[in-house]
Amino acid sequence: MVFNTDVTANFWAVAPEIALAIIGLIVLGLDLYSRESQRRDVGYFAGFLLLALAAATVFVPTPDGSLSEQLVLGGMLRHDQFTQIFRTMIYIAAALTCFIAMGDNRMRYKGEFYLLVIVATIGASLLAGASDLVMVFVALETLSISLYALAGFVRDDARSAESGLKYFLIGSFATGFTLYGFSLLYGFTGATQIYGPDGIGQQLAAGKLNDAPIIVAMMMIVVGFGFKISAVPFHFWTPDVYEGSPTAMTAFVSVASKAASFAVLLRFMLAVFPPEKLAVGAAADYSELWVPLISVLAVITMTIGNVVALVQKNIKRLLAYSSIAQAGYALMGVAAIATTDGGQGAASVAFYMFMYILTNILAFGCIIVFANATGSETIADFASLGRRNLWLAMFMTIALLSLGGIPPAAGFIGKFYLFRAAVDADLILLAVAGVLNSIIALYYYLVIIKVMFVDPSPDEDKDIPMPANYAWVLGAASLAVVLLGTVLANPVIDWATQAGLELFI
Amino acid sequence: MEFTYETVAFFIFALTTLGSGIMVVTDENLFHASLYLLFSLFGVSGLFVLLVAPFLAAVQVLVYMGAIGILIIFAIMLTRGMMKMDQVYNSQRVAAAVVAVLLFIALAVTLTPIVDELEFGEDLNAELAEDPVADVTYETVNELGKVITDRNGFVLPFEVASLLLTAAMIGAIVVAREDEA
Amino acid sequence: MVPLYMYLLVAAALFCIGVFGVLSRRNAIAILMGIELMLNAVNINLVAFWRYLKPDEINGQVFAAFVFVVAAAEAAVGLALIISVYRNRNTVEAEDINLLKW
Repeated sequence: MVFNTDVTANFWAVAPEIALAIIGLIVLGLDLYSRESQRRDVGYFAGFLLLALAAATVFVPTPDGSLSEQLVLGGMLRHDQFTQIFRTMIYIAAALTCFIAMGDNRMRYKGEFYLLVIVATIGASLLAGASDLVMVFVALETLSISLYALAGFVRDDARSAESGLKYFLIGSFATGFTLYGFSLLYGFTGATQIYGPDGIGQQLAAGKLNDAPIIVAMMMIVVGFGFKISAVPFHFWTPDVYEGSPTAMTAFVSVASKAASFAVLLRFMLAVFPPEKLAVGAAADYSELWVPLISVLAVITMTIGNVVALVQKNIKRLLAYSSIAQAGYALMGVAAIATTDGGQGAASVAFYMFMYILTNILAFGCIIVFANATGSETIADFASLGRRNLWLAMFMTIALLSLGGIPPAAGFIGKFYLFRAAVDADLILLAVAGVLNSIIALYYYLVIIKVMFVDPSPDEDKDIPMPANYAWVLGAASLAVVLLGTVLANPVIDWATQAGLELFI
Repeated sequence: MEFTYETVAFFIFALTTLGSGIMVVTDENLFHASLYLLFSLFGVSGLFVLLVAPFLAAVQVLVYMGAIGILIIFAIMLTRGMMKMDQVYNSQRVAAAVVAVLLFIALAVTLTPIVDELEFGEDLNAELAEDPVADVTYETVNELGKVITDRNGFVLPFEVASLLLTAAMIGAIVVAREDEA
Repeated sequence: MVPLYMYLLVAAALFCIGVFGVLSRRNAIAILMGIELMLNAVNINLVAFWRYLKPDEINGQVFAAFVFVVAAAEAAVGLALIISVYRNRNTVEAEDINLLKW
């Protein structure tokens, strides 16, 4: 395989990560040399730089044309629009996380928090482009290990420490499975590169191996990734970790880790176990094995997630089960990639993750404001929020409508494209299951809205203060969710479609 | 398989690894378990020597036994309160054993020619039966160093790994240090 | 000469011993030791495949070296978390981490 050895192209391919590393070092230095009272500005600094980076990433040129032009740095990374769109959304997620962390007294004065967020972001953003087993592994662990430390960050809170430990043990266990699968793939082909004529994908497709060992490797890898995206039956850690971690951290885990894992899942399945049209002169089509596997995972994930969410009393646990269900919807798009022609599957997942990142951070941001004022995370305590702070209730409503898939919020278009991709891929039953599940899900999202605007509360006259910086951030995020569902929908879908198409080069 | 010094060494190291490994997961005393872990890791390093990977064998002793093993022993001593445990296992001991045995059978059947029909493909079966390529150089360290610093090799994961170690160090300090009250 | 599948068999056995340890132990440090056994099994796999199938390319050894690095980082953070939990609760029993629970 020939790689792109042009220095400029190689530089642009990792320029965002270089910028992130520099931002991280500056954050550490600022933290060291600023007084206690000024440390909060470190968070603003990191947040605004990350936002600027997200905007700049859109304009970073990618090599166009062939696969060998896009594979840079010895084939470690593939620099295409698919990488770019996931990078952009991950940087936005990191920036918003920095902003919403500032209301938490236990974190906002700690520069280390922002550094860990930035290193996790580097891992996530490399994961989106990784095209070599070694790179996938190192990027995945850079993301995960930073997140373990973040989950246990508030060390005098027993719940945070415990959820960090739980996340760590289960995450490393999952890594063991992924890694065993990787070692088998290396053994079968002698390659670590997933693309190219001598890469793993084409060698497996040549059909020189028996199916059984490949199925074992595939199962191991799906189990490992299943833990990361919290697909049922590997989801049991999600509610506990989401409930126990500091809320800003929960927001970050629920979006950055999930988006990056979906990016790598899409790229990995398509490249390593390619469908017929991607493998030149293929003798074996392993997508016939994993498409049903992923479809079944999708259906049980969304069903279990939604059904269990119906009975939750704690808002963070409810959002945890809702995020399990959302992962189930997105898995429909993964199942659809192998059989759709134009990469609609990948495009619909990319768009869905874009909307999910904005929506979920918005929801968790609202919870932070509410919990800071009332000290409660129980859904019943949200009663009459509409009268106690109308703006907060509005922002929360937009987030819930988007998660439930009601226009004009972005969630509607996201779901629509996922279902359409599934139908295009002849996975009609899967699409039907998705629609039925969205209807179940609507119930619990609408119940919260009802609680906020209709139910009476003994504290009705007590206002809930919203700090000005939160008002700005949550307002901007709400606006983004609505814009993404209306005027911005087409440009972003075009971008996602191009990204999806490039996976098939 | 002939009876040679190499096969004898292989069985000694393999039995050390697996026997100590079983003790790691079954011993009631956590401190003893950690010592068995060191033995098991040592067995693995012996296997690396047999596989002509002397550098990795040395790293195994230094990093795994020296650093990680000692770190684990430190943690056990720092949390001394639970060194003696009333209950070693949780309630799923039997289920866990069943899962592990089934997984082992699945791996053994698919990856090794124990059952005739279920082997690797033809190409690999031939290689599995043969001896490995004889002319392996013992100077792999040189090559390893070149590849991980080559722009067209593994330099990107190498650099990212250094960031990862920094972040892990900072994260570990933040999580574990006492509050400066 | 020892055939390749013997190494694969040892690795598979070690991996499953590790899985048993993770699933059955109550103590968080014991679970961590199970995870270390799993990672070692992966390394045996990688080095054995390298030696028998691709000794002319160093990829397998590089991969194994990265597993070492990551395992070290993981152990450091994990043990820090264990100590943090111990300070808060005076125990690191992980009964509620029921890995097989739905």
